[in-house]
Amino acid sequence: MPKLQRQQYYDLTRDMNWHFRYVDEAEVFPEAMSKSLGVPAEEWWKWDEPYKLTFREYTYNQVDKDTGIYSIKSVTNRANLYEKLDSGWRSAIKAHYGAIPVPEYLASIGEARMARFGRAAAWRNMATFGALDETRHGQAQAWFPYSLIDKDPQMDWALKTLHTNEWGAIAARHLFDDMFTANDAVSTAIQLTFTFETGFTNLQFLGMAADALHVGDMEFGALISSIQTDEARHAQQGEPTLRVLVANGKKAEAQKMVDIMFWRSWRIFSLLTGLSMDYYTPLEYRSMSFKEFMEEWIIKQFMDQFKDLGMNTPWYWESHFLPELDWYHHGLHLGVWFWRPTVWWNPDAGVSPAERDWLEEKYPGWNDTFGRWWDVITENVRKGEANKTLPETFPVVCNLCQIPIITPCGHAIGKLERPIPFMLEYNGRQYNFCSEICRWIFKEQPERYHGHLSIVDRLLAGQIQPPTVEGALAYMGLTPEIMGQDADNYQWAFAERKAAE
Amino acid sequence: MAALPVQAAVRGDFVVLLVLVDTEDTMDQVAEKVARHVIDRRLPPQGGRPVVRVNGQDLPPGTTVAQAGIGPMQFIEVRYE
Repeated sequence: MPKLQRQQYYDLTRDMNWHFRYVDEAEVFPEAMSKSLGVPAEEWWKWDEPYKLTFREYTYNQVDKDTGIYSIKSVTNRANLYEKLDSGWRSAIKAHYGAIPVPEYLASIGEARMARFGRAAAWRNMATFGALDETRHGQAQAWFPYSLIDKDPQMDWALKTLHTNEWGAIAARHLFDDMFTANDAVSTAIQLTFTFETGFTNLQFLGMAADALHVGDMEFGALISSIQTDEARHAQQGEPTLRVLVANGKKAEAQKMVDIMFWRSWRIFSLLTGLSMDYYTPLEYRSMSFKEFMEEWIIKQFMDQFKDLGMNTPWYWESHFLPELDWYHHGLHLGVWFWRPTVWWNPDAGVSPAERDWLEEKYPGWNDTFGRWWDVITENVRKGEANKTLPETFPVVCNLCQIPIITPCGHAIGKLERPIPFMLEYNGRQYNFCSEICRWIFKEQPERYHGHLSIVDRLLAGQIQPPTVEGALAYMGLTPEIMGQDADNYQWAFAERKAAE
Repeated sequence: MAALPVQAAVRGDFVVLLVLVDTEDTMDQVAEKVARHVIDRRLPPQGGRPVVRVNGQDLPPGTTVAQAGIGPMQFIEVRYE
């Protein structure tokens, strides 16, 4: 039994900072790993966070959490819950499982780097818990789908995706390597824990948890709700780091870190959460549209908190980000559905007459813009010409976010002046971007990004043989039982409005 | 004759496509190679003739890719009028 009361030892042990006498500070905290930006050690020691956990408390809490989710899993398995779920919802959770568990595991590397190279003992203490959290998240989110593989072979991609060259996997690796696997401690705190976790994971984990409970997917809802309780805690590393930077005249540096990672997060969440919320979740169970979630969680709550810290909205907020809320993820959805053999889930078109009415209500003008493309697709399906709804070439992908370039979409619906991709010549190589912001991010740190080959670059370099759609599917590791198909076997194309309408 | 990859879009479509053309293709042939991925797939059949636009200039239908000086991965847009 401990001899001391908690309050008698906690602050002393948590804040065990000291000056170095036998080595230089720069040797202990190399700039490449810590990125202290010249802020003195004593200033970093003012770093503080509100949770103030002990290791004993942490382990007790985590055991309770794991007991809770694994109990629910045991019950739902016996009830054959998965088979009863809507096919679109199953696609939503498969997209999540492929994109999230392994990056969570990798995030433990970023947390461990902060646990070693963070400049305050209190921060290193919190990051240690963060590393354990992310290990738990990786394991739980790999185990839950693993137990469903006998019911759905696409669940195998929960563990497999990030180890393949599937285009979404390349996009996820590029983002997460930038954000935490290959990032310094301060940037990780600002970009992973503040920008990504405090801001965006709420969308995927709270928003999707709400939808899961409506759909009746207790297992997925319980799992990601449990994970979010950890995220809410270790995400607290961002704000105190930001406070230290701002107090020491490093606001501009912090602002740039946020501006970069906010955009990159927006890109990946549009692809992941945008499609799930507005197209894959069954209509009757949707709690909010993706745009409404963005407005509530990001535009209002997160940015209010951000501005309270003395920071500004990213420079592209009004000109680029807000207008994209009305179109970007709708364009991605059309692309993912059309190129559905290239993903590890079955995209749900989500454009039956009733669903189109909902889209029109949430995004006025949807039928006159996105609906036009879906009209042609629907007609082809009705004529029995589904082959015309499948790809025979590739989209060009962005050299920063690695997501297909859909500038013509923004142009066609009147949100972009030109349909042309944003380009850049650097060291004799042409780079193509989906947006001015992705090009700006590249130009800020070209030495960080220039060597990467997008999947289209790899095709042109002869790395994908044969250089056909079939060759690319094989390169991406997609086998016939995994390649995405229409989630509803095209029933949506034949659905008719109710007579009363 | 040599194969040349370009990035292309049909006006009104939503995505930039990778399309393989030949340096001896005329602009009409280029338009056809791009349009086959789009027309009657996401856009309805278009009236009028195709026009290929590169670097802000409409190119005559008989001009070849080589004559137009189109390079690898240059962006071309096809529209109908």
